[in-house]
Formats: sequence, C-alpha cells, structure tokens
Amino acid sequence: MLDPRRAQRYRRHDLIDWFSQDQVAGARVAVIGAGAVGNEVVKNLALLGCGAVDVFDFDTVELHNLTRSVLLRESDAGRNKAEAVAERARELDPHVTVRAVPGDFWDTLSLSRLQGYDCAVAAVDNFEARLRLNQLCLIARVNLVNAGLDSRWAVVESFPYASSDDAACYECTLPESAYGRIAERYSCGGLRRRARIERRIPTTAITASVAGALAASAALRLGGDPSPHARRRLIDTLGGAGSTSDLERRAGCPGCGRYGRPPQLVHIRNRWATLGEGPGLGLEAVTTQPLQLSDALVTGYECAACGPLEEAARYVGRRAAEFDDGIATCSRCAEASVRVEIRDAFTVGELMERFGRGRVPAKFALAEIGGRAVCFDLEEN
Amino acid sequence: MSQSLKLYVRTADQTRRAEIDLDAGSTGADIIQAAVDNWALPADTDYTLVNTTTGRALAPGEDLGKGVRPGDTLEVQPVLVAG
Repeated sequence: MLDPRRAQRYRRHDLIDWFSQDQVAGARVAVIGAGAVGNEVVKNLALLGCGAVDVFDFDTVELHNLTRSVLLRESDAGRNKAEAVAERARELDPHVTVRAVPGDFWDTLSLSRLQGYDCAVAAVDNFEARLRLNQLCLIARVNLVNAGLDSRWAVVESFPYASSDDAACYECTLPESAYGRIAERYSCGGLRRRARIERRIPTTAITASVAGALAASAALRLGGDPSPHARRRLIDTLGGAGSTSDLERRAGCPGCGRYGRPPQLVHIRNRWATLGEGPGLGLEAVTTQPLQLSDALVTGYECAACGPLEEAARYVGRRAAEFDDGIATCSRCAEASVRVEIRDAFTVGELMERFGRGRVPAKFALAEIGGRAVCFDLEEN
Repeated sequence: MSQSLKLYVRTADQTRRAEIDLDAGSTGADIIQAAVDNWALPADTDYTLVNTTTGRALAPGEDLGKGVRPGDTLEVQPVLVAG
C-alpha cells in the first residue's frame, strides 16, 4: 500500500486498467550501462515509480554524451555516469530507490546480487558485455532485456529466463560475425589488444528514447506479457514501422547450449572445503572434478629466449582480462617473446594447489556433475 | 538432387527486395552474405535474418530447407550493438 503522497503522484496511472502501480512499485531492476539507452530506461523506471533501480557503469561522462543522455548535464562531465544518472533520477521521484554502482558490472554484480532483481536491462555498447550479462542472467534465472540502437533503428529483446527453462538466449540468434568482432579485441594468445581503434556507432536521442521506452516497458512486463518465448521488437524510428519476431532456442548455442536446463547454482564463495558436500559429489571425487572458470587466468609467464622472469609473480594467478598484449614483451630482451599461458579449465585439485584457501579470481565455475550442469558461485556477495 | 526454394528477401527498411531461388541446403548466413554483397549493405554491421511470414528469427547456420517454405519473406535486420 502506497503512502498518501505517493498515491497522489500516481493517481493518473491508477486510471489505466492494465497498469498496476503496486506491481511496478515492487519491481527491482538492474540497469547495466548508463549511456544513452541507460539514461532513458532509468528515467522511465523512475517516472513510473519502479521500486528499486540499480545503475551499473564504469565510464565517466563526456560532453559528446549530452546530446542523447536525458539525465546528464554539462556540470556532470568527468563524473561517473552511474552516479550522475542515479542522482538525477532520484530528483525525478525521491520515493524511488535509485542506487549507483560504479565500476565494471563483471566485478560489481555478483550472481547472488543479480538474483535479487526481477530483471536486468542490457544497455551496454558492445557484444562482449551483452554475452557476459546473458550468461549471468541464464545462470541466476533472472529476466534479461537487451536494448540496442544506431542512428535509425532501435531494438529491444526480452528473454524470460525466470519463467521459462526453454527460452532462447541472447546468443541463440547472434551471427558468427559478432564473435569475430569480439575476437578482434584480443590477440591470438587471448590478451586484450593494446593498439586497436574501437568502432564508433552514431546514435541520436530519438533512437535512444524509443529503445529506452520499450526496454523499460519490457523490464516491468507492462501489459502482463504471458509469453514464454523470447521476443525481439525492431523499430524504424524514421518512419515508425516495426516488427516483432519470436526467438527460438538453438541447439548447440554457445550461450545456453551447454546446459540442458539452467545450471544448479551453488554458492560456495570460494570455500573449497565445502565442495565435497555439493550436489552428487563424493569427497573422493572432488579434487579430480573438472571445472570451467568464468574468467581465464594467467597460469604461466616465461620468455622463450631468457627463460623464467621475475615479474611472472605480477601476472600468474590473476585474470587475463586485467592485462593487454603488452605483457608479452620481455623486460630483458625487449622482444615479444614471452609465452603467456592462459587457461580457464582446471580441476578442483589444481585450483586448491594454486590458491590454497585463498580466493580464486573468477566469478563462477561450471561443472557437469551427474549429467547436470552445476554453477559454483565464487563471489562473497 | 537438391530442391530449389523460391523466396523473397528484403532489407528491414524495405528499400531492397528480391525474389530468389535457393538451394534447400543454404543457410541464413548465405542469404545475409549475398544481401550484403549485392545490395552494398554496410559491411561493418552484423545482420540477422527473420522470416516475416512466420514471425520467427532464423538461427545462424540454420538450414533454410527446414524453417522456410516457398513464398516466405526473409528480412535482413541489423544487429544493434550501441547503447
């Protein structure tokens, strides 16, 4: 039940027969990305009276963002986008809880935290972030809404992971060329490329507002979409034409194809000693249990010409994503001759040997146990 | 002997449209590549294919002989990555 002041604010909403203010006020939404679409989504959620909105972004505001970011001002230049957007959204409706989560969502959005939301909105600007958020939502069984745009088109896709084990995932219709673009960001050894010009895609406030409106509506499931199917809505913002298509699950999909059904999520929080109590695992089998980590780790660092290097200690045992291909240049001979070994597949025994009881620097580990996919959540919160 | 399939292919903005005869073993990726080449669509964009007759998006690599019927219209849609 809303307090009288809030009830007065939403009295026009109450005249809409398909709109439940109570339902909206109870919704908790994570918005990943506080760029053009993220601004619009957060603005809409705040105006609608959504219960709680958390905004995730690592980036800072630049002047060129202002042409399509409804919540940002010139005075925000240099600030973290999530913080600036959350602050402005709270001004729209002080009753809505809007929190900023600065930083890369891969570091700040744990599976446990994600399970506390009704929906996550992908308002990011690259394929890699979408693939990662898709994985998290699949595992946590949280609905995902993906929004994208260019200078003319707006697209919003809904993936009802919370209510359907058979829904298509974001990767089910993703073309091979998208993986090629992700691969361009990495050297053949798996390290990020230092020298690379990112493709810039021009967008406008028009496409952002259309995508943001549809995404907020989908996140709150306004109109009560009972469809168990994943759906895509594509809008031509120049003429207003649009199409809706059903997305079907693809056998062998790189995203969801590895699971027959969503994996069982086990929160072990890096307490490896408790792993033997996990589902279907006998203690004797624990050390040889193969795992695939969510993050590739640097496991070896040696120059082909000079041999072992002192600085190996700086890299080995850390996430490969923390480094670029500059570390493949030897500090002694200055040649690009360092062999950087990177792995994401380990046994439990190998991880225990490498990290002891310390934290394994990964979000989660996937295993197949008794014919069922199991995901071990490695984060604390 | 492979069976031929008569289909329509168009761009999402419907400024380009063609009737094509397709071998049943062809995939959505083949159609997209032909559209990009023949219609000079931006090569730095990724595309996906939707059967607008059935309202179903086609999976990459899907054998069109299974998910498409003669006379269906396939739409080449951009995969939008900006946010």
